[in-house]
Amino acid sequence: MAEVKVKPEAPDPMDIESRIIELCQQFPHGITDQVIQNDMPHMEAQQRAVAINRLLSMGQLDLLRSSAGLLYRIKDSQNASKMKGSDNQEKLVYQIIEDAGNKGIWSRDIRYKSNLPLTEINKILKNLESKKLIKAVKSVAASKKKVYMLYNLQPDRSVTGGAWYSDQDFESEFVEVLNQQCFKFLQSKAEAARDSKQNPMIQRNSSFASSHEVWKYICELGISKVELSMEDIETILNTLIYDGKVEMTIIAAKEGTVGSVDGQMRLYRAVSPLIQPTGLVRTPCGLCPVFDDCHEGGEISPSNCIYMTEWLEF
Amino acid sequence: MTQAELRLCSLLLRENFGEIVEKVGNSLLRTGPRPLRLLVGDTGLLPDQVKKALCVLLQHGLARYEPQPRGAVEYEARGERVLRILRYPRYIYTAKTLYGDPGELLVEELLLHGHLPMSSAVARVADRLTETMEDGKSMDLSEVSATFVRLADTHFIQRCAAPPAAPPEAQAKDRFVVPRLGLVGKGKRRHSCDEEEEGEHKAKRQKQEGGSSEPPPDDGIYWQVNLERFHQHFRDQALVSAVASRMDQTSSEVVRTMLRMSEVTTASGASHTQPLSSNEIFRSLPAGYNISKAVLDQYLALLADDPLEFVGKSGDSGGGTYTVNLHKALVSLATATLESIVEERFGSRCARIFRLLLRKKHLEQKQVEDFAMIPAKEAKDMLYRMLSENLVALQEIPKTPDHAPSRTFYLYTVNVMAAARMLLHRCYKSVANLMERRHHEMRENKRLLEKSQRVEAILASMQATGAEAAQLHEVEEMITGPERQQLENLKRNVNKMDASENQVDETIFMLEAFIESTMKRP
Repeated sequence: MAEVKVKPEAPDPMDIESRIIELCQQFPHGITDQVIQNDMPHMEAQQRAVAINRLLSMGQLDLLRSSAGLLYRIKDSQNASKMKGSDNQEKLVYQIIEDAGNKGIWSRDIRYKSNLPLTEINKILKNLESKKLIKAVKSVAASKKKVYMLYNLQPDRSVTGGAWYSDQDFESEFVEVLNQQCFKFLQSKAEAARDSKQNPMIQRNSSFASSHEVWKYICELGISKVELSMEDIETILNTLIYDGKVEMTIIAAKEGTVGSVDGQMRLYRAVSPLIQPTGLVRTPCGLCPVFDDCHEGGEISPSNCIYMTEWLEF
Repeated sequence: MTQAELRLCSLLLRENFGEIVEKVGNSLLRTGPRPLRLLVGDTGLLPDQVKKALCVLLQHGLARYEPQPRGAVEYEARGERVLRILRYPRYIYTAKTLYGDPGELLVEELLLHGHLPMSSAVARVADRLTETMEDGKSMDLSEVSATFVRLADTHFIQRCAAPPAAPPEAQAKDRFVVPRLGLVGKGKRRHSCDEEEEGEHKAKRQKQEGGSSEPPPDDGIYWQVNLERFHQHFRDQALVSAVASRMDQTSSEVVRTMLRMSEVTTASGASHTQPLSSNEIFRSLPAGYNISKAVLDQYLALLADDPLEFVGKSGDSGGGTYTVNLHKALVSLATATLESIVEERFGSRCARIFRLLLRKKHLEQKQVEDFAMIPAKEAKDMLYRMLSENLVALQEIPKTPDHAPSRTFYLYTVNVMAAARMLLHRCYKSVANLMERRHHEMRENKRLLEKSQRVEAILASMQATGAEAAQLHEVEEMITGPERQQLENLKRNVNKMDASENQVDETIFMLEAFIESTMKRP
């Protein structure tokens, strides 16, 4: 009796690939090399590698690195169709931009991450933009810089600047108007408190306004087209503090009282300046632009100072 | 001393004492202590003149002398004291508001003469007052000496220190003792002064017996004005008015009471007053204010809680003890002065950036724009302007050892002491400029002034001899209309410049007090 050698059948390459895809679909988070090996123990490592490479180049598998080693994940079919026309480089660039998320990424950073030359990057970016996969957003911090992000994402606040910026322009008149309105509100509150003539404790406490009250007042005034949050109002009130017109105290408030943040409330009060404009600025010398050049006997001297002459004629 | 201070000192000396004293003073200020021979050589004047000039300086307390071990005596000029001459009008005005006309004239006489014994000061003032009163009346010497005693009690005037030979112990205790004088004034009244107070220690009372009537019994006891005390008073005034503008009138009265109570108990350079209990304050409130104790307590609590931190609570005994935080108050007032200067010179947005930097100490350019809500371009421009004027400084924090600009943090900051000193220097120069301009104006119109003086003299003599109205009129016509107008203008301008010199002096006082108080702290 002759020995029948059972030749191991070379498994069909196509079968391997479809088997791997099935496995991937079973484990949507990704499978390691180990899992594939366990499933098809009779397959050689080389054949496995060939199959996986083919799937990767066709764009049906994603290659990821994890703490346990390499992971293969089925690629989202919709995405896979999108990228079908592109080549590897574009896919790589797209991936980098996707990772940047909300904040977007600058073209130089893309270059660093992908190690592609500048010309290539530019070509790819133009390509992707025309396919409406990414968009360029101008950053408000550096007006020449453009950051790229996915088409359907909302740019983050730090890029567009938030409520004070409209189309990359700082709206200073808007800020000024808000500034004056807040100050007028606090001033009238302080005056009302002063006229009430009660005992001083109550007088002072009633001249305070919490940031929540100011916020409500501004919202009701309706001068703002954009929705303003309480933090925005607090930044406006801070500028009033830096103008020296308003002072702030923080008191501990019970959690749950309206307008309290972390158990604290900020109260603001209009104040009058501490001193009158000081003596030095009432003389021409205090405001003179050529003060340092002025000395007796020179071109500019006290004896022939035109500012003084003008001032004396008042 | 800086150039600006030297220039101002020499202008003041020239205006008040003449050119010789100015030369001597200048030489002393520039070169420090020197003996008489070198001084004569330096100034090129005759030894006699130099001696007389030195006498004048010593009499007014503008210079000092010290016997050296080798027998020579070295003279040294005191620059800060010379600068106080600028403030004389303010001292006199304060004395007037506090003690009326006798007080004003007493302080004026003492300032103009440097040192005076009490008897001659009182006599002079009485004569001056008598001149201004109606015919037939004359000023009572006792009233004037009463004012003198009150001035001494509140430490506004003090005895001059004896020559260095005397032991220093005796001087300190007797600084404010008024000698017994039998002043034979109108009505032959005897006036016995029997109060004794020490400078820094508690007051003790001692009765002195006997009386003397030989003139002048207080030979050798000279009095001078105590400038430190006046400065204390100005500082208190500034504090009270700041509290009044930030809070209300009643709070400022409370603070004024507290300061008045600590006038004589607090050393002049202290950073806090002595603790005062609320009961004491209640008892010392001025009579017109009848607020209840509870309301007073509320006011005190409000003052202690205020972000200004002028008043602090230091304990609970006696209904709560409170102190006035003098150093903090001076710091606040000085920063307010700095801020107002920045505001007037550069605009209110710059002032916003300045205050922002004062609060937050160190900020990057981007952070400044964000906090102040000013567009980037304008913020940059303002920061650079202030930087060029040295009001704002840049602090570099390198990320790499080679300090490459693109990899360094640049933080803007305000150095308050440096800015205060710089502005003080500017103040001195401004006052000097104003004085120069005033002299210039007087010189320009010298001819006109002389003419008007001659005309006045003629008028006066003609009136004395009883001339007719027509002749008087003719003489008056010698000054034409436009000339009269010119004279009017001149008078107005000179007054304006005088007034503004005083105003700048207020700024000088504020900044100097702040610098002094900061330097004294350990």
